[in-house]
Amino acid sequence: MSTESTNERTSKPNAEAKAMQSDVPEQYRKNATPERGKAIIELSGVTKTFFRGKEPLTVLDGLSLSIEEGGFEALMGPSGSGKSTLLNLIAGLDRPTSGKAIIAGNDIGAMSDGELAKFRARHIGFIFQSYNLMPVLTARENVELPLLLTKLSSTERRKRAETALRVTGLENRMDHYPRQLSGGQEQRVAIARAIVHDPTILVCDEPTGDLDRKSADDILELLTTILMVTHDPAAADRATITRHLNKGRLE
Amino acid sequence: MIQLFLIAARNLKRSWFRTTFTVAGCAVALLAFVMLRTVLSAWNVGAEHAAQDRLGTRHKVTFIMPLPKRYIDDVRQVPGVKQATFANWFGAKIPTQPDEFFANFAVESKTYFDVYDEMIVSPEDKARWLADKKGAIVGHVLAKKMGWKIGDKVVLEGTIYPGDWEFNIDGIYKASKKSMDDSQLVFHWDYLNDALTGEQKDMIGWVSSRVTDTSRSGEISREIDRIFDERDTQTVTMSERAMNVSFMAGFSALLTALEVVSVIILGIMLLVLGNTIAMGVRERTKEYAVLRAIGFEPWHVRFFVIAEAATLGIVSGVVGVGIAYPFVNNMVGRAIEENMGGMFPYFRVEPNTALLAVAIAIALAAFASLIPSIQAGRVSVTDALRRVG
Repeated sequence: MSTESTNERTSKPNAEAKAMQSDVPEQYRKNATPERGKAIIELSGVTKTFFRGKEPLTVLDGLSLSIEEGGFEALMGPSGSGKSTLLNLIAGLDRPTSGKAIIAGNDIGAMSDGELAKFRARHIGFIFQSYNLMPVLTARENVELPLLLTKLSSTERRKRAETALRVTGLENRMDHYPRQLSGGQEQRVAIARAIVHDPTILVCDEPTGDLDRKSADDILELLTTILMVTHDPAAADRATITRHLNKGRLE
Repeated sequence: MIQLFLIAARNLKRSWFRTTFTVAGCAVALLAFVMLRTVLSAWNVGAEHAAQDRLGTRHKVTFIMPLPKRYIDDVRQVPGVKQATFANWFGAKIPTQPDEFFANFAVESKTYFDVYDEMIVSPEDKARWLADKKGAIVGHVLAKKMGWKIGDKVVLEGTIYPGDWEFNIDGIYKASKKSMDDSQLVFHWDYLNDALTGEQKDMIGWVSSRVTDTSRSGEISREIDRIFDERDTQTVTMSERAMNVSFMAGFSALLTALEVVSVIILGIMLLVLGNTIAMGVRERTKEYAVLRAIGFEPWHVRFFVIAEAATLGIVSGVVGVGIAYPFVNNMVGRAIEENMGGMFPYFRVEPNTALLAVAIAIALAAFASLIPSIQAGRVSVTDALRRVG
């Protein structure tokens, strides 16, 4: 069992972020319709063990965690502490070896690969550390990718992708390819791709590396339930709760 | 699905160098494949397009042994035979160009162009020829190649019938069917026969006849051969198509070898495509992992790989056939028809061959991508992202 040592902060969006929120569609406004107090992520006694040959390696050790809908939490910890493994479990990329992981009402451990894929498509938005954009697609096409899994028409997909890019301040870069964008702009495209399908939970792996502080604040203000892995104390400072992970346990 | 296909297809733009060389390699392989298939189809043109109602009667032992000329009268009496003519293989050459091969026959003047009515000769040319004992009619391809025109005098050197033989070019024919060689020279059998003595005199090479009812060809053939069963020289009669097929059967080993080579070429193409696709999949492991992470399923990833490969196959097929078509039809084919018209009167890429080549390119590319696509679909998302991210 873990103890929840939290560093709670009060979020104070700046004026630009507020103005931005008023300009963007309802679906992208922070905590548009969150049910405060309802746990969106519930982990109970979760253990994850990998095997190197025949040697077991326990990365998460009986971890319990509850995150409310609309929360913005940061996960910090040294390398090998299990941050990425925990993020992968919550994102439905992996299953726990034992324990219960209920994410957005879904028991991750009981789902098949196909069900997990559909779960991720519906509930999870990813922001990867290295952006991982498709180099042959324009910014708009990259953002449209998750919507290809929906039944939206091409017009609607395009409209939504453009809205997401506008939200992240890239309305003038929609037809640019990743190679034509700066690192910060690439990351904004990655963020737009992560939020375009209006996910329940946004998981971020060091998401603010190339964004200037103000832009990062603006964007983070727009996001819904967020779980962010970071080594950067400044980035973690913007979260309402920071959790520290060490040797597979929450401190 | 179309959207996914289009995205997958765009992956080919990533490495122009690799894509260009792969397409070029496949295009060359397809060019070789198309040429070999064209050789095979050209070889069969004679049989496939042979006149349905034409029978050939030759010596029972071999077609190089002659028949008595009087046999033609017997053949004409067989019920069901509409027309009959005869010819001799002359086998002469141009003294100054002994390596220049073209078929030349001594034929029965009055009937030959009725039985071989796909050799189109103008009435003026035919009338001029019939009135000229030394007259000859040549195919337009041969005339063009040798620079012959009506009124020219030509001397050929006999090989079977020694001596110099002088001819007047009285007419030029053009074939209306692609199975007919446009490089022949035909002249009056009487001109030949009048110069012969002894056993060679009054002998003919073969009889060609047309029947009134093609469904009775077999019956009529047997009847013709039955007439000569009790004579010194027996015959074999068969349809022109069967005769062509039996002639080609002598080359079956060569044709089989060509088939094998064409399959080997496709095998090489498969390896080239497989290597390119496998390299692309290895390089894009992270992207497939990202696609999986954002909700795409393994079959989506497999589809991506196969779609990209199929696009590569389409491009390779179109480029390969795009090169092969003009190369064969406008260059090699014309040269072969002019120089080897007796063997390949029609050497062109058939539309079916072109379509087959494109279809094979797509199928091979898709097949080559099967294993890489399965591997891509099985990629561990967490491992792939951790390894390269």
